[in-house]
Amino acid sequence: MTAYFAPIRDMQFVINELADLSEVAALPAFAEQEVGPELVEAVLEEAAKLATEVLAPLNKPGDVQGARIGPDGVVPAAGFGEAYRSFIDGGWNGIGSPVEHGGQGLPELFNTATQEMWNSANMSFALCPMLNAGAIEAISRAGSAEQRALYLPNMVSGEWTGTMNLTEPQAGSDLSAVRTRAVPHGDHYRIFGQKIFITWGEHDMTGNTIHLVLARTPDAPEGVKGISLFLVPKFLVNPDGSLGVRNDVHAVSIEHKLGIHASPTCVMAFGDKDGAVGYLVGEENKGLAYMFIMMNEARFKVGLQGLAIAERAYQAAREYAKDRVQGRPTGAKSGDRVAIIHHPDVRRMLMTMKAQNEAMRALAYVVAMHMDLARHHPDPAIRQTHQARVDLLIPVVKGWCTETGIEIASLGLQVHGGMGYVEESGACQHLRDARITTIYEGTTGIQAADLAGRKLNMDQGAAMRALIAEIEATAETLDPIPGDDMAVIRDGLRDGVRALSKATEWMLAGGDPGEAMAVSVDYLMLTGTVCGGWQMARAARAAQNKLMTGEDSVFHEAKLVTTRFYVEHLLPKADALLRSIRNGGISIMALTEEQF
Amino acid sequence: MSILVIAEHDNAALKAATLNTVTAAAQLGEDIAILVAGHNCGAVAEAAAQVAGVRKVLVADAPHYAHQLAENTAPLVVGLAGGYTHILAPATAAGKNLLPRVAALLDVAQITDVIQIDGADTFVRPIYAGNVLATVQSKDAVKAMTVRGTAFPAAAASGGSASIEAVAPAADAGVSSFVGQQLTQSDRPELTAARIIVSGGRGMGNGDNFKLLEDVADKLGAAVGASRAAVDAGFVPNDYQVGQTGKVVAPELYVAVGISGAIQHLAGMKDSKVIVAINKDEEAPIFQVADYGLVADLFAAVPELSKELDTLKAAG
Amino acid sequence: MKILVAVKRVVDYNVKVRAKADGTGVETANVKMSMNPFDEIAVEEAVRMQEAGKAQEIVAISLGVAACQDTIRTALAMGADRGILVETDAELQPLAVAKLLKAVVEKENPDLVILGKQAIDDDANQTGQMLAALLGWPQGTFASKVELGDGTVNVTREIDGGLETVALKLPALVTTDLRLNEPRFVKLPNIMKAKKKPLEVLKPADLGVDVAPRLVTLKVQEPPKRQAGIKVGSVAELVDKLRNEAHVI
Ligand SMILES: Cc1cc2nc3c(=O)[nH]c(=O)nc-3n(C[C@H](O)[C@H](O)[C@H](O)COP(=O)(O)OP(=O)(O)OC[C@H]3O[C@@H](n4cnc5c(N)ncnc54)[C@H](O)[C@@H]3O)c2cc1C
Ligand SMILES: Cc1cc2nc3c(=O)[nH]c(=O)nc-3n(C[C@H](O)[C@H](O)[C@H](O)COP(=O)(O)OP(=O)(O)OC[C@H]3O[C@@H](n4cnc5c(N)ncnc54)[C@H](O)[C@@H]3O)c2cc1C
Ligand SMILES: Cc1cc2nc3c(=O)[nH]c(=O)nc-3n(C[C@H](O)[C@H](O)[C@H](O)COP(=O)(O)OP(=O)(O)OC[C@H]3O[C@@H](n4cnc5c(N)ncnc54)[C@H](O)[C@@H]3O)c2cc1C
Repeated sequence: MTAYFAPIRDMQFVINELADLSEVAALPAFAEQEVGPELVEAVLEEAAKLATEVLAPLNKPGDVQGARIGPDGVVPAAGFGEAYRSFIDGGWNGIGSPVEHGGQGLPELFNTATQEMWNSANMSFALCPMLNAGAIEAISRAGSAEQRALYLPNMVSGEWTGTMNLTEPQAGSDLSAVRTRAVPHGDHYRIFGQKIFITWGEHDMTGNTIHLVLARTPDAPEGVKGISLFLVPKFLVNPDGSLGVRNDVHAVSIEHKLGIHASPTCVMAFGDKDGAVGYLVGEENKGLAYMFIMMNEARFKVGLQGLAIAERAYQAAREYAKDRVQGRPTGAKSGDRVAIIHHPDVRRMLMTMKAQNEAMRALAYVVAMHMDLARHHPDPAIRQTHQARVDLLIPVVKGWCTETGIEIASLGLQVHGGMGYVEESGACQHLRDARITTIYEGTTGIQAADLAGRKLNMDQGAAMRALIAEIEATAETLDPIPGDDMAVIRDGLRDGVRALSKATEWMLAGGDPGEAMAVSVDYLMLTGTVCGGWQMARAARAAQNKLMTGEDSVFHEAKLVTTRFYVEHLLPKADALLRSIRNGGISIMALTEEQF
Repeated sequence: MSILVIAEHDNAALKAATLNTVTAAAQLGEDIAILVAGHNCGAVAEAAAQVAGVRKVLVADAPHYAHQLAENTAPLVVGLAGGYTHILAPATAAGKNLLPRVAALLDVAQITDVIQIDGADTFVRPIYAGNVLATVQSKDAVKAMTVRGTAFPAAAASGGSASIEAVAPAADAGVSSFVGQQLTQSDRPELTAARIIVSGGRGMGNGDNFKLLEDVADKLGAAVGASRAAVDAGFVPNDYQVGQTGKVVAPELYVAVGISGAIQHLAGMKDSKVIVAINKDEEAPIFQVADYGLVADLFAAVPELSKELDTLKAAG
Repeated sequence: MKILVAVKRVVDYNVKVRAKADGTGVETANVKMSMNPFDEIAVEEAVRMQEAGKAQEIVAISLGVAACQDTIRTALAMGADRGILVETDAELQPLAVAKLLKAVVEKENPDLVILGKQAIDDDANQTGQMLAALLGWPQGTFASKVELGDGTVNVTREIDGGLETVALKLPALVTTDLRLNEPRFVKLPNIMKAKKKPLEVLKPADLGVDVAPRLVTLKVQEPPKRQAGIKVGSVAELVDKLRNEAHVI
């Protein structure tokens, strides 16, 4: 397996030029942190060291060995415990958490870049802090002052980890079917039930694990309005912060699965004896709403996983393509055989990987910037605008980046030829690991339903139309110099955004909602493809400006060419998707169940 | 052209690296002197006088030169430098400790690890772990340089008849003193002088397993070397390390066992005449430089190799 | 006790360096730069001395282009207290670096100066020795162990035959070898603190040092590539080839 090197140059470019670091840096919330390009560089450099030297080397051994379950519970793969120590000792766990809870209070943009690195280096490992971050978020937003004080400092430092216990055998995409029971018992509740697929539900890397659990109280109303959120520690925590007795919650088995072998996916049993002690978070029956606040961010991070695996797969393919000698240059009948990177079709694969990755990175990081502005801008109206953009684009980042991530991991394997299909090359693992990302935290179907159903209709398309207008405006700023790349990019972007606009109007036209749902994934992929083109066009514009000043021409020329490739070879998919959308759902839904 | 060569020695014997340096000196001119700075080092001076091509041996014999502390020997060399156009030392730990100090006191540049002499002032040296070679030209009146032994054959240790002259010692600088040393005891040839080297890496697993290599080395009359990872892990002492920041070797035969072939390791051995790699990972980069590669578990292959060598010996 | 540590910005050791086609130098565009690994060891050693209560202040100094500030920031994040950059776009050769460092040492008056034994770009292994010479200080080069005493420092050195220990009177200079210590990973909170630590920028002219190079690089080229040989199927085949084809055993 090749080494992983964080793509720091591109990350810096995206953060400084596209995600408008200066605007984020100007927020009063970050005055203390002195956020700026130097801090970006310093943080990325050091995070990259940890990713390359500590996390990445465990990726393959972790895949081979996997997490195991023994008599004393779940045992992580060798080396993971020590790596986790280095990770939390370095203060990385709390990068984005508020200073008051011991975090570093850095912008989401920083968190996003480091998340990408952890996931590229070792996705199984990265899931542990990722789920913890979700739990921290839920407790910060919905927990009582007392709960925050008792649990957050240790969770933010990483001394304890958090989990998300949502899924049950009969309740996956549809969480309203949750059955786990919470029975009031003095100042707390007793929890009874079984949760499945719980990531890092148990392990011995830390002293305690804090489970956040969806359950129903005895007289809760049916469906979504009757679900509450509970905090269930593995070891009860005394008021002074010391650990008390072991709670009645245990991992009873772990799944044998396609990928992320080193991430234990646990079946969790609550209340095998007299009930697991649980504390209500927020108010009764509002659990799902709290979960959704935090799920937005978890979905965003799963989107980043798609990008992260794609980046790792690209790096491996690139190195292989430079080394593997096979065949002669097109047209040559004799002479030296060449490395496969000389073959046009291998170039196509590498360019596809590179361009898709850069587009995904740009879009995801720009969404992170909107998150920062939505959370911290002093003006509530401006916060609102940014939040609308975040809400609109999260299902796109989740759905599009993960679906694309799998395609890229598959292309990476293809570049390796027969070796790619053999485990030793490492290409298989990337594809296997990537495969979960379109499933958990809401499948692609659920993301598409969220985008095309809820998000689009919530404001009758206002947020989407605002986005489209912005993309159109970008196209018009790409001052064409005749015969130049920028003209091609401008024209391509115009075509792309026209397709998005037409598709949006079709979706909003209000036919049969079932029909819209039938083409919703097409719509999600169309949105992602066009937004990716939009960000690449902005990147090309920035690169063009840099080239005029003669700065780092190697990088900026490549950016321009990569954008042109995206516009010429990937963005045209928007037209095909539009056609599919306009054809509607009739043939999709026409067969009877028996005809399958 | 008059050249001063700094002898590498331990007061008892003249070290082989000196002979390679004399060969480099001979490419610059015929007027070659060797400085032997030490204590009770008469035997070394005698040996130096025998080296073919040397005209004069200068001996500075004083208690404060016993351990050749750079603080004391540098002023001595500087005092003698006036008469020379070039000052050469072997590119060894001792040479690299001393010569930059001399150069700075003379206010001249120092040229490290010279592997080729293109003229009186033009030299080739490796940079970036030997990934590239730089040809440099010195503008200084005195050229101070360390010479990489592997790049120059050894001068004949006998046949010369140089005069031996005592030189007055300089004062003891009094800022440093020798406390003790811990030298690796071995009957095997020295790494940098060995005709064959058998080297082990992290793949050896522990220090005990190096016995497998020592066994093979003894049958071949070879020295034993190691990668940095093996030294860092404490399998073998530091002076076994071959590489960019360890010793540079170029034996007739280099056998790399359980060594992946990191660029920093290759920097120290890639000029060997024949390279053999034994590694269980067929993708290991060491195979890209090996003349003969064997993809195998070393714990099976090395004992087998030992047996094959016995058979060979028995067969004569 | 005050310690001065020199840190150099070099091409990262993982990067495969290539010569430029025109032979004027090596390709450095788009290449990852890092602190010289031996200098990381030097910073680590100084920080450990400070943590052990043996040193009060650590000053990290780098010489070269403006981007060397990043390298200094890394040293500050590791634990150095303040930084000095001697900024110049000119090519700096070891003797010039030693002279600049001497000027800084004379301003700062440290008790101990620690440098890496060599920089992994020019592989020169000179600067520490040259600086010690110019200062008239004792030198403990290629250190694998450093023990501070009262007015002295004992340095265990990696030499060709094993190890040697010397006692040096302070002020003294030490250059690090690989096994002196294992440098720490920088902690995120320390990166943020490092931003607030002072970093002074000087010019060679401020120090009155002539940095003109003494060596002219005429050309830079890649050595001939070694061709990969063959894979043998067995130990017996290997021995046969070595004896009858290569004639080395
Ligand atoms: C490795 C792994 C780790 C996980 N980690 C966690 C965790 O830490 N915590 C946790 O709570 N859960 C976790 N999960 C559970 C995960 O979130 C669910 O598997 C996921 O939400 C899908 O639910 P399901 O498996 O029940 O599939 P189902 O809901 O049965 O879906 C099956 C198929 O039907 C489609 N579908 C279902 N409903 C609709 C609809 N309304 N419209 C359109 N299509 C629909 C889906 O898109 C999917 O293709 C994990 C799962 C895995 C495999
Ligand atoms: C499970 C398995 C079973 C197999 N079974 C058999 C078998 O029964 N018999 C048998 O003989 N072989 C078999 N093979 C080998 C298989 O046919 C080869 O792996 C396949 O032909 C690809 O060759 P390669 O692996 O050398 O890849 P390479 O040729 O190195 O290709 C690597 C990449 O470069 C691209 N590429 C290479 N040359 C060019 C070119 N000129 N133009 C454009 N792109 C190029 C390829 O498309 C690929 O993406 C098997 C392989 C596997 C993995
Ligand atoms: C500044 C710097 C300077 C350096 N200087 C040097 C230097 O001077 N010299 C040096 O060597 N390194 C040096 N290095 C380190 C270098 O980068 C590598 O880390 C080191 O060379 C790796 O040593 P290795 O090959 O023994 O270990 P690894 O890279 O871990 O390789 C072990 C090999 O053993 C094989 N193996 C394992 N078990 C078996 C078995 N049972 N049978 C067969 N094969 C097996 C494995 O396949 C693997 O290829 C330096 C690094 C830096 C950063």
